[in-house]
Amino acid sequence: MSIQPIIRVATDVGGTFTDMAFIEVGSDGTQIVRTAKTDTTPPNFEQGVLNVLERGRVEITEVGFLAHGTTVVINALTERKGAKTGLITTEGFRDSLEIARGNRPDFFNLHYQKPAPFVPRYLRRELPGRITYRGEERIPLDLSGLSAILDDFKEQNVEAIAICLLHSYANTRHEEEVIAAIKKYWLDVSVVASHQINREWREYERTNTAVLSAYVQPIAEQYLSGLESAMDRKGFMGNLYVMQSNCGVDNLSRSKRIPITMVESGPASGVLAAAELGKAIGEPNILALDIGGTTAKCSLIENSEVKIVSDYWIERTPSNAGYPVMVPVVDIVEIGNGGGSIAWVDEFEKLHVGPKSAGALPGPAAYGKGGVEATTTDANLLLGRINPEYFCGGEIQADVKASTDAVSRVASQLGIDMIEAARGIVRIANNNMTNALKLVSLNRGYDPRDFTLVAFGGGGGMHGVALAAELGVKKVIIPNGAAVFSAWGMIMSDLRRDIFVTQLLDLQNDAWRILDELLLQVEDQAIAQFASEGVSNDRVSFRHLAKMRYQNQEHSVEVEVPRRPLSKSSLSDLEIRFHEIYEREYTYRLQSPVEIVGIHVVVTADIGRFELSKVKVADAGCGPETAHKEIRDVDFAQEGVHSTSIYDGALLSPGMEFEGPAVIEDSGATTVIHPGNKASVDVFGNIHIVLTEDSNG
Amino acid sequence: MDHRFTITVIQSSLLAIAEEMFAVLKRTAMSPIIYEVLDAGVAITDADGRLACSGAGIPSFVGVLDKTVKALIDNTELSSIHPGDVFCTNDPYQGGVTHSSDVILMVPVFAQNKLIAWTSNIAHWSDIGGATPGSLPTDAKDIFCEGLRIPMIKIIQAGNEIESVFSIIQTNSRLPDMILGDLWAGIAAARRGAIRVSELVNRYGVDIFQTAMEDSFYIEESRVKNALSKLENDTYQLESILDDGSIHLISVTIRDEMLLVDLTKAPDQHDGPYNTSRDSAMIACQMLLKVISTPKSPANDGSFRALKVLTRKGSCYDPIAPAAQGYYFEVRMSLFDMLLQCLSEGMPNLFPAGHFASICGTVISGIHPDHGRRFTMVEPQMGGWGASLGQDGVDAMFSLTHGDTYRCPAEISEARYGIDVDRVALNSSPGGDGQWRGGRGLEISYRMRGTGQLSVGYSRSVVPPWGLAGGGSGSVNFVELHKVSGDTIRYSSKSGILLDKGDIIRIRTGSGGGWGSKKLRHQSAIDSDLKDGINVSNEVL
Repeated sequence: MSIQPIIRVATDVGGTFTDMAFIEVGSDGTQIVRTAKTDTTPPNFEQGVLNVLERGRVEITEVGFLAHGTTVVINALTERKGAKTGLITTEGFRDSLEIARGNRPDFFNLHYQKPAPFVPRYLRRELPGRITYRGEERIPLDLSGLSAILDDFKEQNVEAIAICLLHSYANTRHEEEVIAAIKKYWLDVSVVASHQINREWREYERTNTAVLSAYVQPIAEQYLSGLESAMDRKGFMGNLYVMQSNCGVDNLSRSKRIPITMVESGPASGVLAAAELGKAIGEPNILALDIGGTTAKCSLIENSEVKIVSDYWIERTPSNAGYPVMVPVVDIVEIGNGGGSIAWVDEFEKLHVGPKSAGALPGPAAYGKGGVEATTTDANLLLGRINPEYFCGGEIQADVKASTDAVSRVASQLGIDMIEAARGIVRIANNNMTNALKLVSLNRGYDPRDFTLVAFGGGGGMHGVALAAELGVKKVIIPNGAAVFSAWGMIMSDLRRDIFVTQLLDLQNDAWRILDELLLQVEDQAIAQFASEGVSNDRVSFRHLAKMRYQNQEHSVEVEVPRRPLSKSSLSDLEIRFHEIYEREYTYRLQSPVEIVGIHVVVTADIGRFELSKVKVADAGCGPETAHKEIRDVDFAQEGVHSTSIYDGALLSPGMEFEGPAVIEDSGATTVIHPGNKASVDVFGNIHIVLTEDSNG
Repeated sequence: MDHRFTITVIQSSLLAIAEEMFAVLKRTAMSPIIYEVLDAGVAITDADGRLACSGAGIPSFVGVLDKTVKALIDNTELSSIHPGDVFCTNDPYQGGVTHSSDVILMVPVFAQNKLIAWTSNIAHWSDIGGATPGSLPTDAKDIFCEGLRIPMIKIIQAGNEIESVFSIIQTNSRLPDMILGDLWAGIAAARRGAIRVSELVNRYGVDIFQTAMEDSFYIEESRVKNALSKLENDTYQLESILDDGSIHLISVTIRDEMLLVDLTKAPDQHDGPYNTSRDSAMIACQMLLKVISTPKSPANDGSFRALKVLTRKGSCYDPIAPAAQGYYFEVRMSLFDMLLQCLSEGMPNLFPAGHFASICGTVISGIHPDHGRRFTMVEPQMGGWGASLGQDGVDAMFSLTHGDTYRCPAEISEARYGIDVDRVALNSSPGGDGQWRGGRGLEISYRMRGTGQLSVGYSRSVVPPWGLAGGGSGSVNFVELHKVSGDTIRYSSKSGILLDKGDIIRIRTGSGGGWGSKKLRHQSAIDSDLKDGINVSNEVL
């Protein structure tokens, strides 16, 4: 009997398009990769998923693994389309949600407006009862007022209830009792308590997180159930997973219960893809850069590990404090700068690019859909970097006239010629992105020169080399299939949960016992939870990190905990590692006592990994000339115009090497290789671009 | 390539450098007041000390450091400034601007053997000596009570630490390790900035770098003047009585795209710590100019060229040494508040009513009952902001002189300080009614689990925040100590109050003033307030 092929599929529902990536690993190890794209079909999103699977010729009954990425959660939040939510807090703290932290980034604005809470004051209620920061009960929970609160909530048509009690991270019992009492009294209401999502201190952040999760729960559950039944009807027999913000996937039941962890799943899959690619090609330290139509997102990967943090905000801008969401999220910086970002000139004749974007409609002027504003894409087209005959993979004919008109308008405002203006647009856009990359590297204590830039998304290859030169990065990698790289990341992801628990511990005496017990407790809970979802114990593995700092400081660093079971000497090991990591990050070390503030446990469950397969090497002796399409003039902005070799990305094969100036045209993306760069294609079909000393700025 | 794009790149790179310096300072500082309250700022100036850009979490540290660098240049031979030098001061009488607790570090930037810029930072150290822990005695009689005075000196000479100076500084602090950490954080931040600026200059050349700076000054100056030209030319005057009964006469004139502030009629200097240097009074005026002209754009030298300020030597805004200045921040806060009130009465549609207008500095110290370690909690408080035309005041924000400052969560306070936080709620005191109502302050209850000491410095404890256009006054800021013995004592400004186990400290911060007559308040807004349980009637006041 032959071995069944492994078929893994990822579908990614975006605002405009629903993407799909498909990998089939045959019994002989050969891999077939396919991608497809269709329109998103609101409000019946599952239809778009079925459409894209059909277009990609996927036999649904044979798929073993389907990962699904969706923006349903972030959309419900930003469009304020969630459920009417009530909140129950500890007595004396119902206003925490509204008081927030009092910070305002826009500090010269006399008319600053604080972000309005998602639950108004009349739906915020209190219950007496106190747990201490050490998890002891100081005042018993008094549930006598609960039924009156619930009656009020019913009368006000509340659909979801969030609970956040003080210090529930240290002892979950009171919150559990409130949930049980609510369920007894009002079975069909959606309820979530803060400890089910996160067990870290900071009551405002935890309360807001519980509130936002409750707010989106009904709509997310409805969405996921719709997808599940649509797949069932098509005879899907495999496992359906949902992409999360922590670069992992999770199962359906958990995602329906706690949907807020999906909030940043889009960027997470791209960062994971960059990390996985790095592992495959032996590049552990990576700056991942995803340049899309509206934004650019970047993240730093160190030692092949994505950085997962739990301090994340939505709607946070230079003029808005935003809303904290304390869930595991990949550490990214996002700026309003993408291919569709609009160039504009201010009253002092200064050129700016973004953050306003031409979006999908009308899009850049070059799309010929009525866009009249100049965008970065238009500038790239006019500089010859994008081929007008091969625009968007040849699917549409670029409207060069519309681009010329749009950029000429900018040029006349500046009093310069059109080409100069186009160069300026590219240069300013590059500068914006360089500053974003500095935020994830320099401002966090890392030197970008120690990292390799992996640039993807529609604009990654277009701008990657220029950004690398600016930052002193020596090597840029443009992944094979850069345009659907994120969907590929989803296929590569594990079932992953990041668990954060606050626990203050001085590094002395029997602290190792307490730490060991806490880790064991978290492991047991995670295993039990997985078991209840049908994932067996032997597939689960753990990584333990301690959050440590000098006593009484605010900022902590994560230190890898030695293997359990711990012993007395584990503490000194931890302390030694702490001093090293702290010094690297903060530039000095102290003699002061060290404390643990909490733990971060990464739980992964093996759901069948597979190795990347090498691209079949083209006929021996095949040089880059077989992929050579033509020579044309390309304007490299700062380096000026060069006669440039144009290569067909589809015909490149492993081992090919060539030098810049060159441009690679692929169906989804264009890669610009500057003069002096050396390019080569690796065994997986990725393009490696090495910058020479001269090309580093 | 059009050099205008290079200029834009240089200008945005300078902002990125300032951000990087601020990130270094925040990450490496030891004192919580630096990395939590963000009582710190950084700046890049040109060789003459003109502000190129600043990075700060709070507005009141914008436009401070250029004054210090100018004072340094005025008092130092150019030939004695070398690459690798680090200069330092904390003395408001020698260019230190604020108070002795704020230490300033400055590094000259050289490129092609020429001094082309300065990088600098200022940060509040937890203890610089003086009469009381924390260096802020409310009963200080002169600046010597407020700790070590560091004149304008070099602490690192061409890369070599001057060890005697480090030793003097450490010896004069109750927290020598902490301030040594803060000192090195400041040095690291300024040095990082200096490296980045010289990289930038070497890349693009001195000429275009200097052109980029001049260009950015010109643009900001034009923006400010353009905004001023849209305001009515007039002289606005205000007579205001503060909590201590002092009468302040202020006059603000907008004329010919200039803002003139006359503070010469201010009261004589205070015999305690409630004074602020002329440079610091300037900061209040700069903030006024910024909020009325260019609140969104980053500040530089050009932002303040349209400003002229008159002060009188010997007044609380231009004191003569050795007057104490420890609580300069309350003096400057009330000055900024009066300046806003002065203009708002002439242009009520453009301004909000008065806010709670105090830092409400609250310090609780004692022994943590769970592990016996000493703790000091230093906390500014949040309060209500004033209403404006078309908009209720914002609830519970830090004062206008704060910015991206975060309140410490109750869960962390309970763990870190070993006190019980019984309540943090919106203040139910009446106040701030109007067509648009003032934002509400806070009501906080702390209960002592051990013994300790309390110090408070609250303004607007007697005279409430002002209403505007017929709106009602807000409510006042104060602390009520409910002793376990049964007594209740009210405080606004006092240090060294003894606390017993079980004492309850009840903090109330004020509502902001209302805007417009409350008779005009829309019924739906009244209904919504009622539904949310908000009490606004202040007819008793």
